[in-house]
Amino acid sequence: MSLLVQQLILGLMLGGVYVAVAIGFSLVWGILNIVNLAHGALVVVGMYATWYLFTHLGLDPFLTLPVDAAVLFLVGYALQRGVINRVIRAPLFFTLLLTFGINLVLINLFLLWFKADFRSVTTAYSGAGLDVGSITIPYIRLAALGIALLLAGAVGYLMNRTRTGFAIQAVGADKDAAQLVGIDLRHVYALTFAVGAACAGVAGGLLSTIQAISPTAGEPYTLQAFVVVILGGLGRVSATVVGGLLFGLIEVLAQSQVPGLGAGWSNAIAFAVLVLVLVLRPQGLLGRPA
Amino acid sequence: MSEAAFSTQPSRAGRRVRRLILVVFLVAVAVVLVLPLTLTQPAADANLDPETLGIDFAINKSIVRTETTIAMFVALAAAWNLIGGLTGYAAFGNVAFFGLGAYTVGFLTDKQHLSFALALPLAPVGAAAFAGLIGLPLLRLRGHYFAIATLGTGIAVGEVIKNIDAFGGGTGLFPPILRHADALFFYLMAANAGLAVLVTWLVLRSRFGYGLIAIRENEEAASVLGVNTTAYKVGAFALAAALTGLAGGIFAQWSSFIDQESVFPVQYNVQMILMAILGGAGTLFGPVAGAIALEWLILALAGGGTSSVYAQIGLGVLLAVTVIFVPRGVVDFFGGSSRLSLGYFRRSLRETSV
Repeated sequence: MSLLVQQLILGLMLGGVYVAVAIGFSLVWGILNIVNLAHGALVVVGMYATWYLFTHLGLDPFLTLPVDAAVLFLVGYALQRGVINRVIRAPLFFTLLLTFGINLVLINLFLLWFKADFRSVTTAYSGAGLDVGSITIPYIRLAALGIALLLAGAVGYLMNRTRTGFAIQAVGADKDAAQLVGIDLRHVYALTFAVGAACAGVAGGLLSTIQAISPTAGEPYTLQAFVVVILGGLGRVSATVVGGLLFGLIEVLAQSQVPGLGAGWSNAIAFAVLVLVLVLRPQGLLGRPA
Repeated sequence: MSEAAFSTQPSRAGRRVRRLILVVFLVAVAVVLVLPLTLTQPAADANLDPETLGIDFAINKSIVRTETTIAMFVALAAAWNLIGGLTGYAAFGNVAFFGLGAYTVGFLTDKQHLSFALALPLAPVGAAAFAGLIGLPLLRLRGHYFAIATLGTGIAVGEVIKNIDAFGGGTGLFPPILRHADALFFYLMAANAGLAVLVTWLVLRSRFGYGLIAIRENEEAASVLGVNTTAYKVGAFALAAALTGLAGGIFAQWSSFIDQESVFPVQYNVQMILMAILGGAGTLFGPVAGAIALEWLILALAGGGTSSVYAQIGLGVLLAVTVIFVPRGVVDFFGGSSRLSLGYFRRSLRETSV
């Protein structure tokens, strides 16, 4: 029984990581209609930023998160304004190819600068956890879950309570009408992508404390972010939160409870969830029917 | 689209240039096809030990290897064109079929000790059957959903196979080595490439092909007009899978070692798409031209070591430049109506940017 509780807790915490990774992905997809295949690489930029600040300046990894967000905000703004805006009206296929190209360039730049070595961010509290009876709650993962939920709250606030958020939503709803009321499309597109990239940066900073950092460390997260968004439903922050937490639970439970499945099956599990949801409930659990 | 209005009958000079291009092209094809025989076959006939043949033979072998790789990508790009170019479904996971074909041959020759000749015909069959199976649910999806679901297929199939011990698990499979077969593998790959072009040509002239194009242009309208869209889409998907699986099967025996990483590489998905788009998706020879040009470029750039990193960066940049400036492909660019001019780039840019 306590083993199951332990796994449920671990699943929720893993879900927290997925929420952090998927928030920005969902925003960019929902507003810009871009499935950003470079999202995983942007997460890795956040990982390396935290690693750099931690090893060279001795900053605590959690204190580097705002820096990660700021760096990726700028990178994201420049990418969208300079490159992706050029194909935004093309068939979706071209934005997929373009973001894949950006992904390829980023990964190989990491390889060039950091080599293929695995790096890690290990703090004094890395292995510590809270013991409740026979159940252990690792501090870092608990903090990651908390920060992921805060991040979701912040994006929700930005989208639903500020003028900028309304402008972004207006562009997502009808870009021509938005332009007619005086919204600068190029700027709002770039801003939306920048916010999405900043979220990826925070996710990368969180992940650097949890897993090894390497040029391709972000690759699985692009597919997983996609599954989370499909599972929850597109277009609402709350749906992404539900989707992320649920997906974390599914993955941990499937790997621990289903005989024959283990750590090597995470992509296959993600894919199975994806196909099931797409076939049974294409709009996602919380999504409105299209 | 709008360029069609400007198209005129080719002038006399234009016809002569075209005839010249055709002749040059046919001569080039003949040279490429005969080359492997002269380069490696004498050594094979004499049954000499490759180790003792020295540097010239090694260079000859590498030329044949390059040709074989290019022929393989011609087949992959032309096969992708059937589902991606003609039907308009953004398949991002065709590498699943390549890997399945490779594993079919690998499993049958290594574990079941079947001969390569008997195992190879099963590779396209297995890949096409799998495509039919997953095509039924996946081809109900549109747009991004289909693209990522197929991308997931490519990744997941590789992972599942890696986790099954009967298929070699993490160690991989080792089809028995065929010595002195460089020319054989080239001709097999080239035959498959030719087959892919032939199939495309037949499809383009058939009722089936018109149905696929109708689906690409407007699926609802096609359905209303009586096109059985599900059957057509699954048919195109399975056809593409069969050709891709055949290439994978040949590859398995050719490389004589396969594992998840070598036959399910995610970048193949995008390479074949880029080749088709660069050449001209939906056209007969576009994917062929794109595959030859791009794979040659990749092989020329990638000498191994750090230069392969630069080659990948170059590929990424090329990808970006292609989708931004020549989204309708080089065949559209050079062929017929549009002229080589700055205006072409500017028009492409204006149509798609905000």
